[in-house]
Amino acid sequence: MKTVTRIALSLAIGIVLAITSAWSQDDMTIVDNAAFDNPQRTPSVFVHDAHNEAAGIDDCAECHHVYEDGKRLEDESSEDQSCSECHDLKGSGGQPSLIKAFHTSCKGCHQAQKKGPIMCGECHIK
Amino acid sequence: MHTFYNFVSGPLAWVAFILFFGGSIYRIASMLKLVAEKERFIFSYMSWRYSLRSILHWIIPFATVNWRRQPVLTVVTFTFHLCLLATPIFLLSHVVLWDEAFNVSWWTLPDAVADVMTIIVILGAVYFLVRRVTQPEVKFVTSASDFVILTIVAAPFITGFLAYHQWLSYPLMMCLHVLAGDILLAAMPFTRLSHMLFSPFTRAYMGSEFGKVRHARDW
Repeated sequence: MKTVTRIALSLAIGIVLAITSAWSQDDMTIVDNAAFDNPQRTPSVFVHDAHNEAAGIDDCAECHHVYEDGKRLEDESSEDQSCSECHDLKGSGGQPSLIKAFHTSCKGCHQAQKKGPIMCGECHIK
Repeated sequence: MHTFYNFVSGPLAWVAFILFFGGSIYRIASMLKLVAEKERFIFSYMSWRYSLRSILHWIIPFATVNWRRQPVLTVVTFTFHLCLLATPIFLLSHVVLWDEAFNVSWWTLPDAVADVMTIIVILGAVYFLVRRVTQPEVKFVTSASDFVILTIVAAPFITGFLAYHQWLSYPLMMCLHVLAGDILLAAMPFTRLSHMLFSPFTRAYMGSEFGKVRHARDW
C-alpha cells in the first residue's frame, strides 16, 4: 500500500470514529434497551433534545424523577442514573417494571397531552 | 387517527367484551332453558362419563374415525384453532396493554413465534375458504354468512400481521386491527362462531345418546 493511501485511509477512519463518538454523546436518538436480555421490539425512537424542545420540557425531573416510599420527591432529579437502576425487568409492588415504566412515562404523557405517538409501532419502528 | 384508536381500543372494546361475555352467558342460559322446557327427557340419559369420553376423543387429533378419514382437514383445523385462541391471548403487545390498563399480566409468546402462528391462522382461513368453494359436500351446506364469518375471523389476524410488520399505512392498519378484534369478539356469541360455546354441549349430548341409548361409540 502506498504511503499516501495509508495516511488518507487512517485519516478517514479517524474522522469517522471522531464523528460517530461525538454523535453518540450529544444526540440521543433512541431509548437504550441494553437492560433487556432478549428485546422483542426495536428500541423506541426518541430524539431527546428535539423532543424536549418541541414539548417545552425544561425540568429534567419531568421524566427523570425520584421516588421515595411511593412518593415523588419534588426537588430531586435522576438524570445521572439509568432508568433500569430502579426499574427492574419484573417490577415489584408500586414500582413498575422497566417496560411499564417506559410505556407509562412516554405514552401516558402523550395521552394526557393529546400529542405524540401512542401506538406500538409509532415508537418501535421496524 | 389517535382519536379513532382511542375510541376502538377504549369504549368500543368495552362494548365488545361486554357483548362477548354477556352474550355468551345469555346464549348458554337460553339454550339450557329451552332444553329444560322442550326436551327435558334428554336428562334421563345425559351422562358425565359418556359426555367426557366423547369430548376427549374429539379433542385429540386422529382419535376418531372421522379425523382419520380426513387427515389434512384434521391437521389444519387443529393447528388453526390452537393458533387462533393462543396467539391473541399470549401476544406480548396484548399483555402489555392488559398490564397498563388493569395491572394484570401473564406469560407471553416470543414475537417471532406469534408471527408464525398468525400466518398459520391466515393460511388456515384460506384453506377453509377453498374447501367451502370446491368440496361439494361443504358447498351444499354453505351460505353467504359463512364467508362473512370467515372474514370476521381472518380480519384481526391479517391486519395484525400487516401492523406488526408495519407494511402499508401503520396507523390505519393498527386502528383496523383493533376494530376487527372488537367485531370478532362481539360476533362470537351471536353467529355460528358460537360453536366455541356450544361444541362441548353438542359433543356431550351426542356422547350420552350414543353411549346410554344406542350403546355405541360416537367417534
